[in-house]
This record gives sequence, C-alpha cells and structure tokens, in this order.
Amino acid sequence: MYGHLTPRRSRADAPTNRRAGRLRTAALTAALATVLVPALSACGGESSAASGSATLKWASSYFPTHWDPVVGGSGAQFRELSLVYASLTRTDESGKAVPDLAKSWDYNAKGDEITFHLRPNLKFSDGTPVDASAVKAAIERAKKQKNSALFGDLTSIKSVDAKGLDAVVHLTQVDYQIPQLLGERVLQIASPKAAKSPDKLDQSPVGAGPFIVTQLIPGTKAVLKKNPDYWDAKNIHIDNVELTSAPDASTVVSGLQTGVYNFADIQPSQAAAAKKAGLDVFVQPGFNAENISLNVNKAPFDNDKVVDAVRYAVNRQEFVDKLTFGYGSVTNQPFPKGYVAYDPQSADDYPYDPAKAKKLLAQAGYQAGDIKLNLVIPAEDPQAEIVQSQLGKVGIKVTIKIDKNWATPFFAKDLTFSLYGTTGRDSAVQTLTAHFGPNGPLNLSSPYEPSGFEAAVAKVRQTPLDSPDYTKVLQAATRAGLKSKALVFTYSAPNLIAKSKSISDLPKNPAHIDWTGVTISGS
Amino acid sequence: MVSRVLSLTSGRVAAAVLALIALLALLGPWLAPHDPLAQSTATLAGPSGSHWLGTDHLGRDVLSRLLAGSRVSVLGSLEVALVALAVGVIPGILSVHLGRVFEWLTLRIADTLVALPFLLFAVAVIALLGNGITQAMLVTGALISPLFYRVARAATLTVARSPYVEAAIVSGASVGWIVRRHVWAKVLPPIAVALAQTIGVGFVIVSSLTFLGIGVQPPAPTWGGLLASDLGYLTYQPWAPLAPALLIMATVWAANLLADAIRDVTGEAGRALIDDRKARAAGTGPAATATAGGA
Repeated sequence: MYGHLTPRRSRADAPTNRRAGRLRTAALTAALATVLVPALSACGGESSAASGSATLKWASSYFPTHWDPVVGGSGAQFRELSLVYASLTRTDESGKAVPDLAKSWDYNAKGDEITFHLRPNLKFSDGTPVDASAVKAAIERAKKQKNSALFGDLTSIKSVDAKGLDAVVHLTQVDYQIPQLLGERVLQIASPKAAKSPDKLDQSPVGAGPFIVTQLIPGTKAVLKKNPDYWDAKNIHIDNVELTSAPDASTVVSGLQTGVYNFADIQPSQAAAAKKAGLDVFVQPGFNAENISLNVNKAPFDNDKVVDAVRYAVNRQEFVDKLTFGYGSVTNQPFPKGYVAYDPQSADDYPYDPAKAKKLLAQAGYQAGDIKLNLVIPAEDPQAEIVQSQLGKVGIKVTIKIDKNWATPFFAKDLTFSLYGTTGRDSAVQTLTAHFGPNGPLNLSSPYEPSGFEAAVAKVRQTPLDSPDYTKVLQAATRAGLKSKALVFTYSAPNLIAKSKSISDLPKNPAHIDWTGVTISGS
Repeated sequence: MVSRVLSLTSGRVAAAVLALIALLALLGPWLAPHDPLAQSTATLAGPSGSHWLGTDHLGRDVLSRLLAGSRVSVLGSLEVALVALAVGVIPGILSVHLGRVFEWLTLRIADTLVALPFLLFAVAVIALLGNGITQAMLVTGALISPLFYRVARAATLTVARSPYVEAAIVSGASVGWIVRRHVWAKVLPPIAVALAQTIGVGFVIVSSLTFLGIGVQPPAPTWGGLLASDLGYLTYQPWAPLAPALLIMATVWAANLLADAIRDVTGEAGRALIDDRKARAAGTGPAATATAGGA
C-alpha cells in the first residue's frame, strides 16, 4: 500500500530530489499522524486498550441468553455469568464450598439457620456496597421475581435478615447443603441497585465478580475488562475477555488455530483435530449426565413393564463409543462414576439385555411394532437416533420430532418421551431433587416421586457435609431416587476444552471454569 | 422444443445428468446396498467392498444414505419450481390484460415477496406449521414466484401491443382466448428457461434447508443433511463431503445447462442458430435468414 502513495522515482533523479522527498514524506507522515492517530484511538475503544494485555478470547457454546442470573437459572451458562457475578461461596477442586464473597459461615446448633459473614469494603461495579442487604435482595428476587428460574432451588430458605455484613438465612428445615447451594450455580449476586430494573440488568449485568462487561451484543459477543475491586483481583491475571458465541462446531478448531479464539469448549469429534493443531485439549471434571425422560403419567409408560423394557433396551456403551470418542463414560445415575453421590450398589442395575426387554414388552401385552412413540427434542441430536435404533431393536417404533419450542411442553410436563442432559449441581441434593423430586424441573413425570426418596433426601439435608456418615447417607438417597421410573440415565458427556498453549492450566474445580491464578503468556 | 434442445451437445449432457438424477430419485431406495438407517459399530469407516463410500458417525452406509436421500432433494426442488410456476405465471400474464387495479396489486405483492429473505421466512413458517419438507418448499416456491411473474409479464407485454392481438381484441375475443391463442406460445420459451433455472435453485434451497436441519426429521437422509453431518468429522473423513457436494453441484450445473440450451434454441435467434447448424451439416452454407433479434 505505501508504494502507491507516491510515484516511484528512477535511481538517476533520486539524489537531487532526496531532500525535497524527505521533507514531503515527513510532512505527509505528520499530517497522517495528526488525522489518523486520534481517529484510530477513538475507533479502537476497548479493543485498542486491550492490545498488549492478557486477553482471553473465549468461544463458548453456552453464550448466555440472559445476563440476569435469576433468569438465567442454574444451567451451564453460569460459567460465563460467573465472569461478572460473584457468589457467597464457590467450590474448590474437591467440589466443596469455600469462601467467595462470604469469608466464612456458621450454622446454629439446630441446623435451621446459617449466617454468612461477608468480606468488608467490597462493592459492585456500579459502586453499590456488597453487604447483607444485597444478599437478602438477591435471595428474595430469586424467590419472587416472576421470570425467576431459581425459585424451585430455594425451597429450604424461609427468610433472610440483613445485619450489616452478616446475612442470616432462616431455613424451613434443617439443611446443611446451603453453602453448597448458594454458590455460583444458584446465587450469583447482582447489584441491588441495578436489579431494580431486571430487564435492564438482563442486558447490562452489574456484579462484583472478577470482570466488568464493557460491551454486550446480545447472543453474539461480550467484551469484559478486569474488575479492580473484585475481592481476589490480585489473583486474576487476565486483563480483558472477549466472550463469543461459538460458531459451528467444525469451525471452532480453525478459530483457535488462527488465533481468533484462544479458549473454547469443543465437541469430542473435534478433539483429534485440536490436538493435531497443537492445542491443549483437556477434560474439565464435571457432573454431566444424559438421560431419557419418560412420563409415567402417560401411556405406555404408565405400565412398569414397558419402562423396564426401555431400561434393558439401552446399550449405554454405544452412546459413549459413538458420541464421546472415548472421552465420556457410561452411567446409570444422574452423576458420573466417582462422584460422592454416585451409588456403587446401583451400578449394575438394568444392564443391556434386549432379550429381556422384548420379554417384558410381551408380558405387558405388546407385540413388536405395537408401541409407537414420538421422541420430542429441541434440535437435531445423534443421541436421539441411537435411542431410536436401540428401541427399534426391541420392537418399539420411535419417531424423532424436533420442536423448537420444546422447553415449554418439557417443563410443563406435557411430553411423553424426551431427552435431557444435566451439567449437574454443586449440591448433590439439588441434583437429586431436580431429577426425582415431585416438582423437580427435570422430572417429566411430576408429581410422581419414588417411594422413600423424600425421607432419604431429608436425611441428607440433616447430615453435615463433614460427618463421617455423609457419603453413606447421600448414596442411599441416590439409591432411593433411582427407583424412579421416570428417568433412564445413559452416559456422562465430557467437558472437553481446547485452549492455546499460551493459557496456563485451569484449576480443576469440577463443572466450573475458574480463572483464578490463570495466566496468558506472550501478551 | 425437446428435439431442438437435444440437438445441442449441452442439452444432451444436461438431459443425461438430470435423467440419471431422476433415476436415482426413483430407484435410489431400491438400489441402496444397505438399510440407510441401520446403525453399526463400524463408525467413520473408510471405503471398502461392503461400504463403497464408507460409513458415517453412527455406522450407517453412506452410499445407501446418498441414494435414499436423492428422492427428497429431487421432489423438493421440483415442488419449489412447480409452486413458483403455478403462483407466478398466471398472474404475470393476466396482469397485462386484467386492468390497472389487478396489475398494481400483483406488482406490489411480487415486490413484497422479493423483499422477504426466503431462508428466514421459510424457517419462520416451519416454526409455525411444523418441520416438514412440503411446507418448506411451498413457502420457498411462493417466495420465488416473482421470478415467473416477471418473466411471464415481460413476455406478455411484448405481444400485448402487437397488431394481431389488437385485432383479436377489436374482434371481441376474450382474454382467455387471446392468452391461449397468441400469448402462451410467446411466453412458454422464457418460462421454460426460468423453470430449468429454478429447479437448480430448488436443489440449492433444499440442500441449504436440510443442511440446517430444516424440512426433514432425522434420521431421514438428505444430501444437505449428509453434507452437514460430514463437516463435523472432517478430521476422520476429510473426503466425506465430496460425494453429496458433487451430487448437488452436478445437478445444479445440469439444470443451468439445460436452461442455457432452452434459451439457445428458442426464439428467432435460436431457430436461426439451429437452421444454421443444419445447413452447415448439410454443406449448403449459412442460412440466409439469421437475424439478430429474438424473443
């Protein structure tokens, strides 16, 4: 481009005109600098400020549709929202609740009241102080806001008293799960001042987390900068974040390779390409579990033998082999193997036995082809095709129906047969009640509940997490839940991530993406 | 017209390719060596004696899925073209003969349909009416119909002011009679060109929609759907998208070639061209009646 600014001179006339040429060049450079430097600075905005600093370029498959954590709920998008919002607690590498905005907490002797002691001198990015009244406002909003996706998770909380930096949470029952519950999944705390306009908060998030949103293009991109007032800012070594909604899975690796992104969650089918491209590929520990949801209030699943036939017809290993490329694992529970709540005693329940499935169907009075089901899912999913194939082998004819409005009938419990995948919860009790509880959002058969489940869960709530009996009691609750006829768990999908080698390893906090201590070299 | 089109090499090649594709659509499901929906444990396998084009991510035979998927693509593109033809041609001809109100109304409707982004509109209609190839193609056909409306209208305008049409009007001939007797023959050639082009466009549309998972319910195979799923496994089978992509390209190319051939042999210039070729072949020199004009 520069060569086109002035005509090229011949070598012969160069010496005589050199001085004049230099003057013209200097004048032109000065003029261009005068005009372009301020203009480019203005255009660059945050981006130019970011140059030379540690910038995380994150392509996410879970780009938040809502930035109000109360509306966003406790699903997978909490990872992205936790860039902006902090919580009372967070989890460590063992999955145990540790201090976040609350520096400590203590239960009363009975176990039906917990007091969180907040860190002093903290403020939200709009300057509002982080105190107990902000916690109270956040909990009350989560319980009462019309479009809250969290109210079902907070049934143990009766009321909150705000006493300066102490938030006293009164419970409806003895519940030692509260510190696990009020973490990043369920209680990301927004500025109470900003939350007075929930619609505005949904597109202009204001929290006390490690980063502040400076630009947000709904559904597409968010630009964030480091929050110097975050309580643990000294351990945040990333200056800027560019969070982008991931494009088609097959193009993410190219984006990482070319530096458009330096961090992304990827599909298992892309892992080999990512490794080949010299990227760091790793599985972040998690609690993912996929399931086939059945509605026992509707035929043919109102017949126990049909439900059992489906359970025996499912070959879990096929899901792992075909969909996870060896990165996942089979599970017949709402958690992966190895998690504290995973019940080893139930590990061998309902093994793959298509002959037995056919026999059960015959006992239920159904011949091959008699049962015709619509498997309703929100989007094309090879998992559905495997279910269709496996049930087809035992004589159940499945038609896959894609319904873009799937969420409405699913959560209204109107569907008969569907698929769901959970990313788990930090509180194992929350995972169990979500799946097996009478009002659990993931229990397609509400208000059905397996017998003995409620008592088993109450016992877990009453058991302190550091009690020697905790694991035993928790696994007993899982066992009680697995008596449910409404869910057939299949496999645990991996949290597969590819990143540039310039990003240091992340803390292995299960199911979370924690940027504490993470560095980006070469910036 | 058919014999004139087939007298051109391009016409013969286009007809041969399209006939082959039509044959695939007709016999594909029977020609498939395997059940296109049958899964196996041999996932992402390379080409072999039993699976000529290998297997997909669920262990299904790719060749069988290509053959089985041809019917949806062919029927879908024909549906688009025929709907567009039916919706566009009649109003296009009548807009010249039925007065200013009808003309203004149909022109505004055509302008409106042109302004709508067809893919977005198709997705919206499918969300309302349910996910099916028929609804998708009906909507798309309606959105493409302004092409036929304009072609038919332009051709009709060229003959509407001709002395023989004016004479027919003066003689008290009805609009229907005038259209049948004088207009239709003039309108047909450009419409045939547009139809052939639209079949090609229809293939691209069907492939695009099915690529996005719109219009068909899984696991039904389609060329666009195969292409979409292949893209996710390029590391394992970088060659896999070639087969569906080549089929789509070949079909669209053949449809366009056919359109070109029809254009070449219709109208005064086309007829002169053919006469000229015949004369050359007979060794009698160039035809003396060649003119520069044409319909």
